[in-house]
Amino acid sequence: MSESTPQRPYTRIVRRETHSPRSTLAVILAVLVIVVAAWLITEIVLNLLGHPPLLSAPAQLAAGVTALPTFATDLMIGVGSVLALAGIILMIAAVTAGRRARHSLVGERSAVVVDNAVIASALARHAARAGAIDPDSTRVTVGHRRATVEITPTSGVPVDTAAIEAAVSTQLDSFGLRPVLAPRIIVHSHGKVGA
Amino acid sequence: MNNTNRGLNRTLIMVVGLVLLVAGALVVALSVVPAFGRRWSDIAQQVSSNVSGVLVDTPLGTTGSSWLWIGVIALLLIITALLVAFIVRQGRGHTRRLLSQPPTDNGSTVVDSAVAEQLVTQSLADRPELVSSHVSTYRIRGASVLKIAVTCRRGVSPTDVTALIDDRLHALDALVGAEIPALIQISGGFRARTTKATRLS
Repeated sequence: MSESTPQRPYTRIVRRETHSPRSTLAVILAVLVIVVAAWLITEIVLNLLGHPPLLSAPAQLAAGVTALPTFATDLMIGVGSVLALAGIILMIAAVTAGRRARHSLVGERSAVVVDNAVIASALARHAARAGAIDPDSTRVTVGHRRATVEITPTSGVPVDTAAIEAAVSTQLDSFGLRPVLAPRIIVHSHGKVGA
Repeated sequence: MNNTNRGLNRTLIMVVGLVLLVAGALVVALSVVPAFGRRWSDIAQQVSSNVSGVLVDTPLGTTGSSWLWIGVIALLLIITALLVAFIVRQGRGHTRRLLSQPPTDNGSTVVDSAVAEQLVTQSLADRPELVSSHVSTYRIRGASVLKIAVTCRRGVSPTDVTALIDDRLHALDALVGAEIPALIQISGGFRARTTKATRLS
């Protein structure tokens, strides 16, 4: 690896900060497997000591597995589909990227990772100032590639959409976000009275 | 920033998912396909009688049990130990050392992480646009990297915060005489207002 170039560790760090480590899920699964293993150990030890089992002795377990086809069909299909579905969901979680609601931006000195909420909040302030409306009348949603600015105007007061659009675009350009956000301005046709 | 092994996390999730999927499909197939169910019963019966035979042939002293059970317990204990190690291994990577210069004739110089952490935290403490800041140091591929996590108030521009922190980092660079890589993480901004709205009556 070329560690001499300063960009190299930053790309890795930024990637790790903008994607989920899947730690919570992995730890939950590990704990579940540990619980099952502990239960099996307990059953085996109880069986060896000749004590009654907690749920089912090893011999009963084996008999149950042998008798699987004789159980009620509805029950089997139900349990089987739930297990298979859980398995599929876990496998999807294992291979998908697990993106967090964050963007990276180009810093002059450091790597920077910003929550989408912060971007939305800054855009809302600038949109409200450019349109001369109350910040509480603006609602900004920031997705992975799109920033949607929704404006509820005060009834009877026209909204300068062009000015708001220009302000939002300027702000987005100045942030230098990766990936780039495309702005979209929506002015609601029904205004608020007296806001 | 931490050195959690993400590949291992995903591998564990994948393996558990695969086991559940196979088990679920098997359970459904057993009840839906009668021929498969009959074969399953035959084979399972045979396997369990074989296993019983083996268990009888491997006695543990005079207890009347098989020593194979001890082996099974040992195997389960090893799996448990590995999984516990896996859980404990999550999210490490902090370091207490920021810099260590190669020793010279006059001795060697070591700078603790606490120096950078406290300097940066202090320099950001009185900034009105930030609600809080937390600085920590991680060791990434042999190099110390600072992580500056800040929560900013509503409407603060992320570029302004970045410029502010970059400025403080340049001051730090000048102070310690080396440029330490840094990650700035900006969060908050929605519920954190500057002050309460003032009501004029």
